[in-house]
Amino acid sequence: MRASAPFGMTAVVALRVSVLLALLSLPAVAQSAPPARLAKSIERVYGDGAQVDTLRVDSARVYRISRSGTLLGFAQVRNVKGKDQQITYLVATDSADALRDIDILVYREPYGGEVAYEPWRKQFRGKTSNAALQVGKDIRNVSGATISSNAVTRGVRRALADLTAWRAAGKLR
Amino acid sequence: MRCPPPMIALLALCCLPLVPHRLVQATAQEPDEERTTVGGYGEVHYLNPTGPGTPGEVNVRRFVVYLAHAFSERIAFRSELELEDTKIEGGEDGGEVALEQAYLDYTLSPAATIRAGLVLPPIGIINETHEPPTFNGVERPSFERNVIPSTWRDIGVGLVGAIPGSSGLNYRVFFLNGLVASGFTADAGIRGGRQEGKEASFANPSLTGRIEWARPGLRLGGSFWYGGSAAQDPVLGTGSFDNAVALVSADARYDVGPFMFRGVVANVSIADADAINAAYGGQVGSRIAGGYLEGAYDLLSTLAPGSTHRLNAFVRHERYNTQAGVPDGITRDDALARRITTVGLSYKPVYNVVFKGDYQLRRNRAGAGEDEQLSLGVGYQF
Repeated sequence: MRASAPFGMTAVVALRVSVLLALLSLPAVAQSAPPARLAKSIERVYGDGAQVDTLRVDSARVYRISRSGTLLGFAQVRNVKGKDQQITYLVATDSADALRDIDILVYREPYGGEVAYEPWRKQFRGKTSNAALQVGKDIRNVSGATISSNAVTRGVRRALADLTAWRAAGKLR
Repeated sequence: MRCPPPMIALLALCCLPLVPHRLVQATAQEPDEERTTVGGYGEVHYLNPTGPGTPGEVNVRRFVVYLAHAFSERIAFRSELELEDTKIEGGEDGGEVALEQAYLDYTLSPAATIRAGLVLPPIGIINETHEPPTFNGVERPSFERNVIPSTWRDIGVGLVGAIPGSSGLNYRVFFLNGLVASGFTADAGIRGGRQEGKEASFANPSLTGRIEWARPGLRLGGSFWYGGSAAQDPVLGTGSFDNAVALVSADARYDVGPFMFRGVVANVSIADADAINAAYGGQVGSRIAGGYLEGAYDLLSTLAPGSTHRLNAFVRHERYNTQAGVPDGITRDDALARRITTVGLSYKPVYNVVFKGDYQLRRNRAGAGEDEQLSLGVGYQF
């Protein structure tokens, strides 16, 4: 992206292109999120003008998000099994390894899709790997969607633990 | 601009090669790997009613296998096959092998999934969510058996989804087969009128639906069911909505800290109950109504605050009457105005395994045949 790019249309287009290029290079695998859905989610969490670089840590793919050379955080797409299908979710941290947000990218179960709604997701914001991240403790369940609430919470807990450990080990910078 | 017909044909021909190309692009973003998943739930009961000649009984009440298959990101098949009471044997009571659900979901958008096949009318709490770890008490609430006839399943087609622009509002609507009035009874209402997807008569269709609103810890729902029940019995009528049954229901689930509350109310109107009784010689009520309230507290939140296990102490009070209204000429049976109080414990080492125990006081307005029951049970889902 050119530093001299004016704000407005050009910047937005440049962002979309950079995000899409990063994401479209992924092979199409089962239970992934559509690239456009992922790009939109990253834009929502980190705002316009963010640069997305794809990194490899061990065998995992991690997105490094920055703007004008300043690190904003890391994001990862993972799957966790709900009742009978995989739930594809995004975990997004800030530069201090706290959760900036989570997102449900693809929900495939017949009931329980309320875990995708903002009022439930926002409970995760600001949590670090020191938090319990347990339904019934620091995360309220969605009544009637116990399996999805527990599955996503467990998945987020694991992803956050990994991202934090990789950072501490210097594998992510 | 006007084009002569040959020009249009030529334009269409030119566009043809683009069509397959666009289809490929669209599907390239969707995983094409199919997958089959297996799950299940079950419960084993020990029930011991008080009174002479009623020894305790143990039973594998339910053993259920889920089988689901995703054909693509948008199309999935889901089913639930149930074995009740471990086996069925000729000439013996009890035991059932039943398909409880078998449907295809075609997801058009988050706001609309087409669901077709053998489905669950979206009424109350237990009918759609009946896995043993999801409710307190060894047996399901009696109200959600005799007023809302869970597990109620019928065949048809409908739409489910999130209401666009809302945060947490969902809907489900279905067009299904109706009930058959010859199965209605005084003590279990419309329960015996369910056809359960077995060579079911579609003489009377039904419409059922639900709107619900969910927030963290809270879910509120309102449901209805409306349909005929005459099943072309010439005595009752041949119209689609003859001998109509109208059901409305509301339910709430609220979890806050260590407390959990839930409640359901319902009202069933059978306007032509007199004609149904005249035809089949029953004592079916013209109105069936009631509800229950339940409160629970996680004792481990005080006893062992760091624990991820749960030990719920609960109390549930049910009140319902399957003859809340009776047609002229029928004398109300006060034993059908039931009051059931259940107190008990549910221990959940993980959220999908439960060990249960409870004690039930089963009373009625007539004071006839009242008893109490001790129940123990284990349940799981995966």
